[in-house]
This record gives sequence, C-alpha cells and structure tokens, in this order.
Amino acid sequence: MHEVGIANGILDAVRKETEARKPARAVKVGVRIGEMAGIDPQSLAFSFEVLVKGSDLEPLDLAIEPGVLDELEFAYLELEVP
Amino acid sequence: MTRVPMEGKVLNENDRAAAELRAEFARHGVFAVNLISSPGSGKTALLERTLESYDRGRRVAVLTGDIQTDADAARLARYGFPVRQITTAGACHLDARMIRRALEGWDLAAIDLLFIENVGNLVCPTSYDLGEACKIVLLSVTEGEEKPLKYPGIFFKSELMLLTKIDLLPYVPFDIDVAEANARTIHPEIQIARLSCTTKEGLDEWLRWIDARALGGMKAAPELVR
Repeated sequence: MHEVGIANGILDAVRKETEARKPARAVKVGVRIGEMAGIDPQSLAFSFEVLVKGSDLEPLDLAIEPGVLDELEFAYLELEVP
Repeated sequence: MTRVPMEGKVLNENDRAAAELRAEFARHGVFAVNLISSPGSGKTALLERTLESYDRGRRVAVLTGDIQTDADAARLARYGFPVRQITTAGACHLDARMIRRALEGWDLAAIDLLFIENVGNLVCPTSYDLGEACKIVLLSVTEGEEKPLKYPGIFFKSELMLLTKIDLLPYVPFDIDVAEANARTIHPEIQIARLSCTTKEGLDEWLRWIDARALGGMKAAPELVR
C-alpha cells in the first residue's frame, strides 16, 4: 500500500534532478531495492505507472534492480538531450 | 541518451525528518521505541500492561497510530501518562513527519521513554524510520509461525521479537520453536521474548529488557536468546 508514497518520492527526486539538467528530460529512472526493504516491486511498478500517466514527467520508465538487504536507493537516471 | 548516476535514498525526505527527530530525542534523553505488528497481535494490550506496571512518576509517553478512531488512546490514557492518538486517515504506516507533528507541545525533556505504536501492518511501517532507537516486532501465536519468512523486512530490522498471547498455545497449532527459528533465519541476532498479557507470564522479562535497553543500550539488555 505504501508503494504509492514511495513512487511519489521517486517522481519528486526525478523532478528535482532534471530541473538542474535542463533542457534534458528524464526517460528512465533506476532504483535498487533489497529483499528486506519491505517493498513489493510489482506494486511499486504499478503505482509508478499510474502516477506518471498524465503527469509532467510522462513518459518515464522505472527500472527496478535487486539491492542488498534493506537497500532502497536510487541508482541512475537516463536523460534524453534534445 | 545519457545515463547519469543518481544517489541517495528514495525515502530521503522521511529519512531527513527521522534524523532530526533522532537528534532531538538524543538531546533530551528520550528513548523511543517503534512497536510494529499485524493488526490484533497485542500492541495496545502490551502497552496497557506496561503502563499499568509503572509508577505514576515514571516519565513515559505514548503515541499510538491507527487509520481511524482514537479508541487506543482512550484505552491507554487510563493509566495517567501522556498519550496521543495519531490518525492517519488511510495511510498504512506512520512517517517521521506525523511523529513530529504529534509531539508538538510536549516537553521532550520531561520524557524518558516514548512508545510509538505503529499502524497494525507488517509491511509498510518497515520502510519508514521514525527516529526511534529500536524497532520491536510482535508476533502472536494466533498467527502463523512462517510470518518471519513471509514478511522478512520487519523481522530483519527489529531488535526484539515478542511472541505474544502464549497463554493460547495449547489451543492453536502454532509451533513456537519453529517461529523462533524462522525469525533467526532472517535475522540471526534478533532477541526473542515470549509473553502473555492475559496471564502476565513473561511480562517481567519484557519490562526488564526495555528498562535495561533504555538505560544502557543493547549491551546492557538482559540476554533473552534461548
């Protein structure tokens, strides 16, 4: 259930990060999630998709990579430079 | 297309608020405990028995979280210690900002021990640091002994697992040794205590643990490992 909040946190961070890199726009964000983080990757992917739809960040993909233990961290951001 | 590294925790905002709380707790000498379990495992009952056992002069306070109602705060306020309800209006966990808001107006210097009863949920509260000194997970014997394997996150992050409602063991098909072994599979160092808030069996052991842990840190806590 809290995956919506997590997805929101990811979007906020992406927004902040791309703001500093204008005019590039984000196309994909990578996060690392460990098995002990208490996050369901499928639920997070779904929440993310729903929140991105119709937002200023659409289209934006989420890539979830396995992390260590309770890791819940950003990994990378893919940018498209016009 | 260019890929740039991105650093930091996803829950950066919460972690920042939690770090501020932790510093404030340290400054005022508040030992804060985050109690987490499924709904109905006995968090409120544990707090009732705990508060009931304390002298009136004890500097203890409770924040209790629920999605709706202030029923738990009403139950706990009877013991005469400061209690505040946090209703999350739908959110499945407490976060650090809710704790900060709930503490407004309280003199932290007058509190030594703060119990935070999280929303009944074994998953979501796991991810949100509340600035606590330790997380404690409750598992009642009316649940399954495989819970630690199904919800590893919270058992991994908790210092202590309290096996509650042990007075019901004769009536339920719960293998308590298997439950303990499962918790240790996930977190070999987890400490474990068994108790019943109905018969009060094991209650003293819990009270001693929390006192020692609050006073002198983990090393001072009595050895509970069976």
